[in-house]
Amino acid sequence: MTRSGHAGRAAGRLLFGLLVAGLVWQGAVVGFGIRPVYLPRLTTILAAIAATPEAYAAGFLRTLAETLIGFAAGCVVGVLNGVVFFRAPKLRDMLFPLFVVSQTIPVIAFGALVVLWFGNTLLAKAVIAFYLTFFPVTVNTMLGLESVDPRQIDLLRSFGASRRSLLWRLQLPTALPQIFVALRLGASLSLVGAIVGEWFGDTTGLGVLLLQAMYNENVVGLWAAILCAAVLGTGFYAVISAAERRLVFWGAEQ
Amino acid sequence: MKRAVIARGVLGAALMIVLWEATARGFHLPAYTLPAFSEILLSVWDQRASLLTAGRITTTESLIGYAFGCLCGIGLAMLVIVLPWARRVIVPVLLAINSVPVAAFSPLVLLWFGIGPSSKVVMVALAVGFTMFLSALAGFDRVDRRSVDLLRSFGAGPVAVLWRLRLPTALPMIAAGMRISTVRSLIVAIVTEMLGAQGGLGWVIYQAVVQIDFVQVWSAIFTASAISLTFFGLIGAAERRIIFWR
Repeated sequence: MTRSGHAGRAAGRLLFGLLVAGLVWQGAVVGFGIRPVYLPRLTTILAAIAATPEAYAAGFLRTLAETLIGFAAGCVVGVLNGVVFFRAPKLRDMLFPLFVVSQTIPVIAFGALVVLWFGNTLLAKAVIAFYLTFFPVTVNTMLGLESVDPRQIDLLRSFGASRRSLLWRLQLPTALPQIFVALRLGASLSLVGAIVGEWFGDTTGLGVLLLQAMYNENVVGLWAAILCAAVLGTGFYAVISAAERRLVFWGAEQ
Repeated sequence: MKRAVIARGVLGAALMIVLWEATARGFHLPAYTLPAFSEILLSVWDQRASLLTAGRITTTESLIGYAFGCLCGIGLAMLVIVLPWARRVIVPVLLAINSVPVAAFSPLVLLWFGIGPSSKVVMVALAVGFTMFLSALAGFDRVDRRSVDLLRSFGAGPVAVLWRLRLPTALPMIAAGMRISTVRSLIVAIVTEMLGAQGGLGWVIYQAVVQIDFVQVWSAIFTASAISLTFFGLIGAAERRIIFWR
């Protein structure tokens, strides 16, 4: 089976799954008479989005931008950190406990400070998303680099490989499956960071839409924003997973 | 060797505190940039009564939600293992719900359950429940196919296989999930408190942000981190004791 045929079939199955899920949702609400306070009909929610598409599109794009910037920065810094810690174990012993402690800090509380420092800018939310992403990436990069078989290193050394080519040709590729596990985790975390960051006062974004709908007790609007967040989260996760299948073609741990 | 590692960790922490104190005092940084470390500790001590009350509210919410979440998550994973047909229905539904960032449910849950403690308990249970369900299921699935067949050939039913084989195999993953969930439970409780509450650390933080009282924000963060570290440490210690074979 060709790659495009495979992708086409997967897309078809996804579309079918979404259709079934939508029908079940609509059918359950109508059939069981669920009150709209708890779960409105899917069609009502979609109509609400269709009524003011600009607001939802603007919020979606804003949150997407915050998430992506934070995530990208978190990945780069996380991998670099992992490599540095791997190369300098003494430095790791000094700093790593602090990193662990910093992650048990309720990060969101820290979010309030970040917004105070950077103001209500896109950057502030990206920083929160970054903070949530970089730690799992650092840890998994480090673990992945350490899991390399020492005999393979000796073999490459015996061919005269330098430290740099060891890193690029052996250690990083070996660590890649582990790194991707962290990237998938970071994808969901960075989105949470961006949404919560918007709660500290902003004018656009999915988090803002959620907050406004809550203050107006507008359950349909709330569900519309949740749906947008789900689409964003699932889409981002799917892109990372697709990249993983492409890059780690020799079989990732699922 | 082990002692050297600990010594380096302590050295790192000490260096950071000194650096923090020196930066804040040396550059005369205003409180909104970075209050001095000692200043925050003093403020925590001064307001120990109110911080303790807030901390107790948040801790109670997190603990109840954590217990519920663990029970429901692990229980549901067991159910799904024993009844394979239920798996095909339950797992896709749960994965769909889980694709929404958990914080996005906070406003909805606040509308449903009001601004009292119950909404926080529900949110914590939801977040912990998903983590536990996914880790427990992954753990149960990790079992060697041949071991299951062997037990089956001795006439063991699905429940016996679950109890004697799958559960011990899954225990390390369940424990790891429970350890990660400790931090999550506090974060979720605090986030939900920020949106609306009558008390708790999240509420304190939100009030302090609104009043632009930076030292107060830091004090609440310190308190929350202390609780979170303690909880994490306790579960980690229990894990090392129970799963002795690792």
